[in-house]
Amino acid sequence: MSENVTSKQLLDLYARKVYADAAAAKAAGRPVGWSTAIVPQEFFETMDLPLVYPENHSAVVSARKRALGFLERAEGYGYHADVCGYMRVNFGYLLEGARGDDDVPPAPVPDFVVCCNNYCTMIVKWYENLAKELGVPLFMIDMPYNPEGVVDEARVRYIRAQFDRLVGQLEDLTGRPFDRERFRRVMEISRENARLWKRAFELTGHVPSPANGFDFYNYLTLMVFMRGRAETTEVLRLWIREMEGKIARGEGPFRDAAEKFRIMFDGIACWPQLAHTAKAFRSYGINITGSNYPDGWAVLYETGDLDGMARAYASIANNMSLEKAVEKRVEIIRQGRCDGAVYHMNRSCKVMDFTTYEAQRRVFAETGVPYITFDGDQADPRVFAAAQFDTRVQALVEMMEARKEAGR
Amino acid sequence: MYALGIDIGSASSKAVILGDGGEVAGQAVVPVGTGTTGPERALREALAQAGIAPGDVARTVATGYGRVTWQGADRQVSEITCHARGVLHRMPEARTIIDIGGQDVKAIEVDPDRGFVRNFVMNDKCAAGTGRFLEVMARVLGLEVERLAEVSETSVRTVSISSICTVFAESEVISHLSRGEAVPDVLAGIHQSVAKRVAGLVFRLGVRPPVVLTGGVAKNRGVVLALEKELKTEIRIAPSCQFTGALGAALLAREDLSGQ
Amino acid sequence: MTGEKRIQAILSELAETAARPGEAAERLKREKGKSLVGVLPYYAPEEIVHAAGMLPVGVWGGTADASMAGHYFPPFACPLVKSALELALRGVYDGLAAMIVPALCESLTFFGQNFRAARPSIPFVPVVHPQNRRSPEGVDYLQAEYERVRGRLAEIAEREITARDLDVAIGIFNGHRRAMRAFLEEAPRHPSLVSPRVRHAVAKSGYFMDRADHAALVGELTGLLKSLPAEAEPGKRVVVTGIMAEPEDLLELFEEVGLEIAADDLAQESRAFRTDVPDGGDPLERLARRWSLVEGCSLAFDPGKERNRILLDLVRNSGARGLVVLMMQFCDPEEMDYPLYRKEFEAAGIPVLHLEVEPRMSLEQARTRLQSFAEMI
Repeated sequence: MSENVTSKQLLDLYARKVYADAAAAKAAGRPVGWSTAIVPQEFFETMDLPLVYPENHSAVVSARKRALGFLERAEGYGYHADVCGYMRVNFGYLLEGARGDDDVPPAPVPDFVVCCNNYCTMIVKWYENLAKELGVPLFMIDMPYNPEGVVDEARVRYIRAQFDRLVGQLEDLTGRPFDRERFRRVMEISRENARLWKRAFELTGHVPSPANGFDFYNYLTLMVFMRGRAETTEVLRLWIREMEGKIARGEGPFRDAAEKFRIMFDGIACWPQLAHTAKAFRSYGINITGSNYPDGWAVLYETGDLDGMARAYASIANNMSLEKAVEKRVEIIRQGRCDGAVYHMNRSCKVMDFTTYEAQRRVFAETGVPYITFDGDQADPRVFAAAQFDTRVQALVEMMEARKEAGR
Repeated sequence: MYALGIDIGSASSKAVILGDGGEVAGQAVVPVGTGTTGPERALREALAQAGIAPGDVARTVATGYGRVTWQGADRQVSEITCHARGVLHRMPEARTIIDIGGQDVKAIEVDPDRGFVRNFVMNDKCAAGTGRFLEVMARVLGLEVERLAEVSETSVRTVSISSICTVFAESEVISHLSRGEAVPDVLAGIHQSVAKRVAGLVFRLGVRPPVVLTGGVAKNRGVVLALEKELKTEIRIAPSCQFTGALGAALLAREDLSGQ
Repeated sequence: MTGEKRIQAILSELAETAARPGEAAERLKREKGKSLVGVLPYYAPEEIVHAAGMLPVGVWGGTADASMAGHYFPPFACPLVKSALELALRGVYDGLAAMIVPALCESLTFFGQNFRAARPSIPFVPVVHPQNRRSPEGVDYLQAEYERVRGRLAEIAEREITARDLDVAIGIFNGHRRAMRAFLEEAPRHPSLVSPRVRHAVAKSGYFMDRADHAALVGELTGLLKSLPAEAEPGKRVVVTGIMAEPEDLLELFEEVGLEIAADDLAQESRAFRTDVPDGGDPLERLARRWSLVEGCSLAFDPGKERNRILLDLVRNSGARGLVVLMMQFCDPEEMDYPLYRKEFEAAGIPVLHLEVEPRMSLEQARTRLQSFAEMI
């Protein structure tokens, strides 16, 4: 590998490779699965079962402005526009023949599907429908919501039992035994990657930040698809080195502009409008130095500690109480040294929206950092009003400026 | 014996009178609807055309939004049933009927063997995709609704409108115009918007050709072409497309008479 | 009192309760001298409330104006939780000893969190059902959840909740479910006495009465109906599916256009009565096992989409000519099931009407759709 290859280039390479590998496995007659985004991948990695993540697929499709056709197809089939846009794009993709092209990654039709509901309930219905429509088995790893912000013993026991059951199911599926040694190694790698991911976040606390916030949404692909692989370790270490280099040289996130304001971007990116939103931020020198969204993939637990693993996966922010959600945001704002916050009222994601109003108020009370909310969608390009976004961002800038002047 | 069908919509009133042999003796449309003098005026005009007196009408069936409150009908039947009857009378081969009205949109699936309604869908309480949407947009463009089709013929490209909401779409159109986009191109985008909305509804029903379009908006060739593109199928326009509801009601009235 | 007169008297009482649930709850508290515990849908262990010497009352929302709820919820939360939160903010639930909130969907889960933030003085008792409910670990887990609920309610009621208390409660609630099933089976034979509105009121009133009392009244009602001859030709019979048959004006439209309800698959009605708590040893284990027996509900994990078959069978066996879907606005689980069962109904040649339902819906549009459907079937 050339000395001058950047982490971004490696990322792009691997981001394409994961789809190519899945397609190759499928062609070779090996089973390929579709999975929800924060699944205990350790089990599947150990069994060499490639997983493709429809949420990532839908995000890529939406960012490349190809979502509308798939959305319309799914809606024509009978799906209400109220349900998750990622889901509608995915079903539209299936209904259109599951074909990739220049913009649409070639996700092969799966032989099994895996659902881990540690961040929403919609995915349970999505995967029920997938299993039924495709006639394939569904592995359901249930992680009940934690209304009091604590994963209690009964939940850990339940999740552990499901882990044990899953091992048996995967052995039946593949006809191969579950390799406990390999499992340990995968857990080791996953732990290291989670640690590195957290470390990358910490670096954004530097002023100016060495990373353009939307970068996290891109590098996220590694943590979604390859959380248990050495390749991810390689890329993350390189990325961290690059960022440390920038910090040493005093370089900021933008090539052609100074980092004037730092914000927490709350929620999934508004993929269909990525260009517009990124441009609007850049025009004011706004950089994203914190977000609750990519943080979800920093799944930390001790190697070999399966109770710890159960707890870690079950404590994803969306799966925890309002109080924990507030705590996390306050932590992010402080860590990222944020001047303001932008909350994405993402029409497709009810989990992230239904306690946002109360959380915003509490976070503001605790941090004093001004915030705005805008209406958008993670996949549906029809839910966004550019004029609304632009006006509100401008208002936020004015609030952040006023605060800076007042030296508060 | 004469049979009368009256279609009282929210924005217009239509009346059709059928004579003994089932021929249209008179028909009229008035651009005001339920709760106004519209129905009476439409009725009077249709009677005048037929050259008959109110007492000569033996049976009346009412349909449309205002059918329940209007006094003067022997019975009332829904617009779904009436539009289906009206279209099938002239185009018995129709299998999917789309009615784009002033304030709503309906798609009706017809049973080919027995010639009646097998399934239907109606729009969801929203102006987008209806005649009202086009009225709002026509105003913004400074055009008369009747001229929209003609003006869109000179468009060279389609300036897409992404908002599904009429109110937001209006601001989008205004911002396109202020950025210097040509009126015909923006109009193409408006027609595409209507077509997409209508197509979305029809897909939920299933597209089974032959597809027939009825209702006032069917007179707008721009919308028809855009809709053909979305549905990927040929669309036929029902003759006297504004009157299919009233015609269907009149046919039902006539059936009542022969049954008696 | 003659049979018919007594029938009218019972129906009148139940209709009154269903029409004014708040007053009915007040009356219940007064007459029984017991504390009331609010229970959000679905499948919550109401039996534990009863075993604690308190009475469960259903919380189904009930106001069209939910402007205060907008302080917490964006517009696209379902009307059930929005209006429940609205009423909570208005202080309507302040007299309740506790609020039990399941987490079967996003709306409910976050209603719980918002409710706790909005009304911290009312003890919040969450219960999170498992998806893998048929596995032994799923039943164990739910039993542990129910144990927690028992602990919380015992604390609130300031008394012990024994296994005997629970067994008695299970007996009462199973008895109530049985009585409701018997009534709903007999009802279609008497459409002029049991119109859609009446049918709904009988089911709904149970949520605001002592379950044993309600079961007794309904049992008496069913017995009286059985003594009458079945009415002649069945009219245009349909099955309704969805969460609730509200707003009530909608049911009036059913009657207006001549649609009769042969059977229902509503979460507020038959789905709540279909499954009894099974026999067995430990009562909490039995309660937990009930969840593993629930079938055909959008809220209960259903990888084989058994609901499709169950709905089809229901329509066929009840002699209905079609299915009316009362799709509660913004209800994700129901919206997700719809395309799949609709496809099967289409293949089977059974007509389906889809009506989106919300508190402020246009009854004119609904009337047209229902009337067209009635003309069609």
